[in-house]
Amino acid sequence: MFLYGFMQRAFQASVLISLIAPMLGLFLILRRQSLMADTLSHVSLAGVALGLLLGYDPTWMNILVVVVVAGILEYLRKVYRTYSEISIAILMSGGMAVALVLMGLNDSGATVSIQQFLFGSIVTISVQQVWMLLVLTLLIIILYSVFRKAMYTLTFDEETAYTAGLPIQFMSVMFNILTGVTIALIMPIVGALLVSAILILPAAISIRLSKSFNGVIFIGIVVALFGMIMGLVGSYYLGTPPGATITLIYIAVFSVIAVFK
Amino acid sequence: MQYIKVEDLAFHYEDEPVLENICFEVNSGDFAMLTGENGAAKTTLLRNILGLLKPTKGSVMLSKKNRENKKLVVGYIPQQVASFNAGFPSTVLELVRSGRYPRGKWFKKLDEDDEKHVEKALESVGMWEMRHKKIGELSGGQKQRISIARVFAMDPDLFILDEPTTGMDVASREEFYKLLKHASDYHGKGILMVTHDHEEIRHYANKHIELVRKEGSPWRCFSMDSCKERSKHPSSFH
Repeated sequence: MFLYGFMQRAFQASVLISLIAPMLGLFLILRRQSLMADTLSHVSLAGVALGLLLGYDPTWMNILVVVVVAGILEYLRKVYRTYSEISIAILMSGGMAVALVLMGLNDSGATVSIQQFLFGSIVTISVQQVWMLLVLTLLIIILYSVFRKAMYTLTFDEETAYTAGLPIQFMSVMFNILTGVTIALIMPIVGALLVSAILILPAAISIRLSKSFNGVIFIGIVVALFGMIMGLVGSYYLGTPPGATITLIYIAVFSVIAVFK
Repeated sequence: MQYIKVEDLAFHYEDEPVLENICFEVNSGDFAMLTGENGAAKTTLLRNILGLLKPTKGSVMLSKKNRENKKLVVGYIPQQVASFNAGFPSTVLELVRSGRYPRGKWFKKLDEDDEKHVEKALESVGMWEMRHKKIGELSGGQKQRISIARVFAMDPDLFILDEPTTGMDVASREEFYKLLKHASDYHGKGILMVTHDHEEIRHYANKHIELVRKEGSPWRCFSMDSCKERSKHPSSFH
């Protein structure tokens, strides 16, 4: 299996995604933004559709659109503080609607490309995508190491974080943007429909297994590595879609832990 | 040194006034209790002071510097029920350690002195033995204690406390008030505490800010009845 270049790249990408997913996933869960990943992945589709319509590189157009929407998301989260899921509903449906309209306007056969972004294809990952993921992973690990304490305080309680002197608005927007860029980069690999599962499930599983904050991140990485690699191997031998296979393995692990813990 | 100065503060929720004509000061070494009936906008007043809400009229001055001319560190305990994030994956020790971060430790490792503060804070609320427990496994009273320990570990110049003793027994409350009294008298800390136990606290506090319903107002609006000052312990005001 490892003799194939595409499988080597798929495993490299899986390891990198496993390192970043629990870090972002944990903060998304604790900030009650689990669905934000889903929202941004739907918006990503609009970015891709716009890129294809205008003839620009879909990945870069995607990153640009997602970064703008990540900022809007924070604004809406503030406006609808009590019902923050409203912002999710507005942007998720809006993103999908824009994507469909732009696809309708594009008569150059871009539907096939959109399908690829919708369902993802970890086995068609390019060398360039692996390099971009590597840079992103290093960036997230560095940012996590530097801002771990500030993010811990912010996610525990925003008001005490504010009184402790943290720039909570700026941090929230930066976190949303980083999440958006991550989604824009991993969406073509795992697919828009499963991106949030890949980000959220390892942290959701590890939260039940560890008492400490650092422990959740560490166990989350182990769970993510297990799920990604087993999913990839499974999909290779069973001929099933990789993203969906990985997600099912996470859900199986989650179910087993829910029974015993 | 003046830590808080509130001048002619009014706060309206949309067009409805809830606070009017509020004026008081909290200085270094003050132990001020803020009282009023349920719904007297005590928490709203604290949130105005902290900058979480903007006054409709008047002003709030929260000092930037402490009495040693360093950055003022504010320790805030919100109302427990509203704020405590019980599902947060953290041990008691991790949470109380996070109280040291605003002491210039956002990007630095905690040192021996920080660890001593954390240990002392946990011991002062009787939670040292529970330090490896997950915070979600604690009872309401224990959660309240670790919120207090977190603020004690911070060693702030100004304590802003919103009903911090909810769920604590009488003996623990007495112990807590003594610790605060010691902090204000001997270390010049400023304290502003919302409480319903003013009978218990009046022996410790040197200032009493009381919010009362404004007569003649068609709204449920509160104003200050008085800001009584009592004599301070001679060892304060260094």
